[in-house]
Formats: sequence, C-alpha cells, structure tokens
Amino acid sequence: MSGNAKLRRSVMFQAVPLVVLMLASSNAPVGDAIWLNVPPTGTKCVSEEIQSNVVVLSDYVVVSDDHGHVPTISAKVTSPYGNNLHHKENVTHGQFAFTTQEAGNYLACFWTDSHTRGAGEVSVNIEWKTGIAAKDWESVARKEKIEGVELELRKLEGAVEAIHENLLYLRDREAEMRTTSENTNARVAWFSIMSLGICIVVSGSQIWYLKCYFQKKKLI
Amino acid sequence: MERKWRKIWGLIGLLLLNFVNNVSSLSLTITKVECVYEIVRSEGDIVSGNFVVVDHHIFWSSDHPGIDFSITSPGGDILHNLKGTSGDKFSFKAPRSGLYQFCFHNPLSTPETIALYIHIGHIPNEHNLAKNEHVDPINVKIAELREALEAVTTEQKYLKARDAVHRRTNESTKKRVIGYTVGEYILLTIASVLQVVYIRRLFSKSVGYNRI
Repeated sequence: MSGNAKLRRSVMFQAVPLVVLMLASSNAPVGDAIWLNVPPTGTKCVSEEIQSNVVVLSDYVVVSDDHGHVPTISAKVTSPYGNNLHHKENVTHGQFAFTTQEAGNYLACFWTDSHTRGAGEVSVNIEWKTGIAAKDWESVARKEKIEGVELELRKLEGAVEAIHENLLYLRDREAEMRTTSENTNARVAWFSIMSLGICIVVSGSQIWYLKCYFQKKKLI
Repeated sequence: MERKWRKIWGLIGLLLLNFVNNVSSLSLTITKVECVYEIVRSEGDIVSGNFVVVDHHIFWSSDHPGIDFSITSPGGDILHNLKGTSGDKFSFKAPRSGLYQFCFHNPLSTPETIALYIHIGHIPNEHNLAKNEHVDPINVKIAELREALEAVTTEQKYLKARDAVHRRTNESTKKRVIGYTVGEYILLTIASVLQVVYIRRLFSKSVGYNRI
C-alpha cells in the first residue's frame, strides 16, 4: 500500500530530530487520530453524544498520496439543536474548538468538493478530543510551573476525576431509567386491569342498551 | 507544507507533553461497509476498544442478523472477526506498527448507528530505545497506571453506550404501553358501538320486517 509507505516515510522524517528529545524525556510520544475515507459523492458524518459544558477540540487534515493534487473537502459541525458551530469549504485542513452548551448528539460532516470529485475516496485524518483529553496541559504546566513526574501525576489526577464524573453520570442515568422502568411496570398492571374493566363496562352497557331497545320495540 | 506542519506539532507535543493519550470515541452510521483506520506507532502497543450498535430497531422480533466487525493489521491479516453482533469489546497486542483497519459490514439495507471507542496504549520499555539510553522506572510505572485508568475509561464508554441503548428500549416500551393500550380501549369502544348499531339495524322496521 503506497499510502502506508508514505506514512512510514513521513514518520521517519520526524523521527530524526525527535530522537534527541526522546533521549531527554524517555517517554515515547503517542499522537491520536483516526482515518476516515470520505466517498466522492455523499457525506461522511461522525457524531458523538456529549454532555453540556464539555470542551471539544478537533483537527482534521486531508491525507493525500500524490503531492501535486491535494483534494479538498468541506466540513460542517452542528449542535444537537441545529446550530452551526463550524463550517468550512474547500480546505485541506482545519480545526475547531468549542464548549458544549447543550447535551446531545454533536455531528461533524465531511464531503468532497465538486471540483476535486472523481479522484475516488479522500482520506481524512480526524483528531477528536473531548473533555479531559482536550485539556491544555501545557498552559497548566506553565502557569503552575510543574513538569516531569509531577505533571504526569497531575494528568492522572485529571483522568481519575473524569472517571469519577462519568460514574456519577452513569449512576444518575441508571436512577432515571429505574424510575421509567418502575413507572412502565405500574402502568402495565393498571392499564391491563382498566382494560378488563372497560371490557366489562362496555359489554354491560351493550346488553343493557339492547335490552332497553328490544323492550321498547316490544320484541321481548 | 503539511509535513512541516505535522513536524512542528510533533516537536511541540514532545517538548511539553510527555505522554499524549491515543483515544477516539465516535459514532458512525453504517449503510453497507464503513472502515475506520488508526495508526499504531510502535509494535507491542495494546489496542483495546469496544463498539455498540445503538440504532438497533427491533420491531416485532429480535431477529436482526447484527453487524459484522473485523480488524485488519497493516500486513493484511485479519486479527479479529465477528459476525452478527450487537456490540462487543476487543483487545489485542499490535504485532507491528502501521495503519490498522477496523471495518463494519451491515448485511441489511437499513442504516445502523455504531458507537465506537478505540484506545491505543503504549508503555515505554527497553526494546524501543537505543542502547545508550534507559527507561526511567517511574515513567514505566506512571505509564502502567495510566493504562489501567484508560482501561476503566474504556469500560465506562462501553457502559455509557449500552445505557443509551437500554434507555432507547425503555422509552420505546413506555410509548408502546401507552399507545397500544389507549388504542385498544378506543378500538374496543368502537367495535362495541358498531355491534350495537348493527343489531339495531337488523331489528329496524325499514330493513326487513319479517326477516327475523
């Protein structure tokens, strides 16, 4: 796969100056991104269910094999209520950051532009970070003048807090669902008994009405 | 231009961040086949994750064939192959570095939404580094601790997605209970009123005096 070979080459290209830094930090860096293939026609959308007041950071880059012609894409990000948070056309890379105002499904859609169509599928590298992963540790390190092991431990503390918050969220959701389930359970019982009751009432009133009718018609 | 930009980001990242997490959590809509790719930077990294089919519309029976899922290594071998699932967890040790492919295949024509979470964990060890440098054991311990926390986060993402599916089912059940019961009452009343009307017509004078 030629894309893979180019990728290895670009990684190696970065590796030479970075080895020096690796000697100092002795922690291998790990970037984060996923690759998606945007089809030539139609849009490719990714979404995530995010709570309110969460920082979202995202970077997208078009990965191209031949450097002469880099295909461009358009991107659009919408909030669950339909507000347009980010909209860019004809770009090879872009980024957006926002803090969520409402809880719900946030949608990011990509599509290829009409003039670069026909080149097949376009590979897009998307970095999508929410919550604790989007936290700017560099500014925290600078502001509080911590580094090395202390910074790592501070990051771990942040991760533990995020886990705790997630647990509380799951607990609340479970409590809501338990309420709904118990409600539905009670409703099934009540509605079935009421159904039996309505059946009896309706058939009773039928019989009584027909009896009155036939008596009126002097057939009984 | 792109490479230079990437190189600058890589340098800044290394300078100030010792360890950046590699996580991706997304929902995709699958019409036929969808593939997601992730780069594993070094061999021996543990790739873990899970996916849950969120949009599972069960109408009358739970006869949905499910979604097929497969993981392909950069060498082309299929590491993981699941047929007809509605969600699962996976975890493997990457045999080599490169681009890994996570593919979903939808056998039916109705689009399904899948919540996917992938985490690539790296623990620095002696093998990857040159001879004249050593790995500080505290960094290894911190990395292991971080990986353990990430395992908890991965489980939580799975639980969140399953909770969303469960909530959907619950709300659907609630709506069905109310809708179908009220509909049942109305239909019952209409049927009995129609019965009475019909019997009245049978006995009315104009239709057939001596038919009965």
